[in-house]
Amino acid sequence: MSVENGRECGENAAAYVLGALGPAEAEAFRRHIDECAACRDEVAAFEQITEALPASTGRSEMPRDLRRRVMREVRATPKTAPAGRAHTVRAPSRVSFAWGGALAAGIVAVIVAIVLVSSGGSSGTRVIQASVGSAELHIAGGRGDLVVHRLPPLPAGRIYEMWVQRGTAAPTPTGTLFSTRANGSANVGVPGSLNGVSRVMVTQEPAGGTLAPTSAPVIVAPVT
Amino acid sequence: MRLRLRPGDLRALADEELMELVDAGDTRAFEVVFDRHGGAGYSLALRMCGRRALAEDIVQEAFLSLWRSGSGYDRARGSVRSWVLSAVHNRTVDTLRRTGAKAGRDVSDEGIAERLPARDATDVEVERREESRRVRSALDELPSDQRQVIELAYFGGLSHSQIAEMLDLPPGTVKGRMRLGLTKMRQALGEAERVAL
Repeated sequence: MSVENGRECGENAAAYVLGALGPAEAEAFRRHIDECAACRDEVAAFEQITEALPASTGRSEMPRDLRRRVMREVRATPKTAPAGRAHTVRAPSRVSFAWGGALAAGIVAVIVAIVLVSSGGSSGTRVIQASVGSAELHIAGGRGDLVVHRLPPLPAGRIYEMWVQRGTAAPTPTGTLFSTRANGSANVGVPGSLNGVSRVMVTQEPAGGTLAPTSAPVIVAPVT
Repeated sequence: MRLRLRPGDLRALADEELMELVDAGDTRAFEVVFDRHGGAGYSLALRMCGRRALAEDIVQEAFLSLWRSGSGYDRARGSVRSWVLSAVHNRTVDTLRRTGAKAGRDVSDEGIAERLPARDATDVEVERREESRRVRSALDELPSDQRQVIELAYFGGLSHSQIAEMLDLPPGTVKGRMRLGLTKMRQALGEAERVAL
């Protein structure tokens, strides 16, 4: 534990495990605990408490219909192939996008997107340019889940927005806006079917989202 | 050739053994995982968002996501229950931050605290209820200002700066109360564990 800028560095540990640090603070604290054993130990100790917190919630009777609905969807959804079946394709040296003047401003921090396709799928795996973090697009039964790790922190007033692109058409908003957890991770479902979708993309946008991308994508995952 | 287990056999398996079957695509094993932890997930989502229909949607999305990408479970990083509840918690926080759904609660905190009947009081269930009592007690015994910031952050999905603004406090004070509260809970739960032994 050290003193930084007049403050004890450990004061962020509790807010960090509670997911209460802002994205930039969380990223800075993550870097800090790589170096500070005392904070790392405090985080580990506090994480035991946050893992226990759900137990403080009174148990509510779950609607019977929910179990039936979940299992009906599960049975209709092929399982994503085990991770070991995924393969990685070297990133192209240059990625071109066919949309928007915003993209002409330059490609920023495009993340590796490993596409995991179920055994019944018809698509292979592609990986885009990597500079920071990682992402996986799990596809099964025509639906997708995007799992991201160590995504860069969002500046104040910004949020991540998910888009789908069909062919070379302009990307359309999915309506999915998300932020990441303190460790930069998130697990976000792609709304609707992926039939006909060629790419799933994520951009940073103003809070509240936009109807057209205003910045270059940070994640691009080809689907077909 | 894979040995086909009967439903009764599946229910005798430990969570970690079930997850191996889930990874292989066994829907019946996943059903057992849902039966064991779906209720806790629903209770957590309902406690956080306060809306039954939204809590159901969150649980459904979370479990479907776990099914599709369940190979992400790593037993070295914790129990299956923690993994499930973490997925539900994260998805609920995302939903709250995206939609501000907190404003439309149709269930009060008191309503959420309703207890299940004791019909399923297996040893595991008895142990979970005891853990629930210990954690609730540790949280309830915190000074109210510390309990408040922890609940707003964990169950409300609010950042420390949002909490500071809401309570008209310096951000450092909010962080300090969080730290003091978690430290006291840690001491209380450690003490309770020693007494239980």
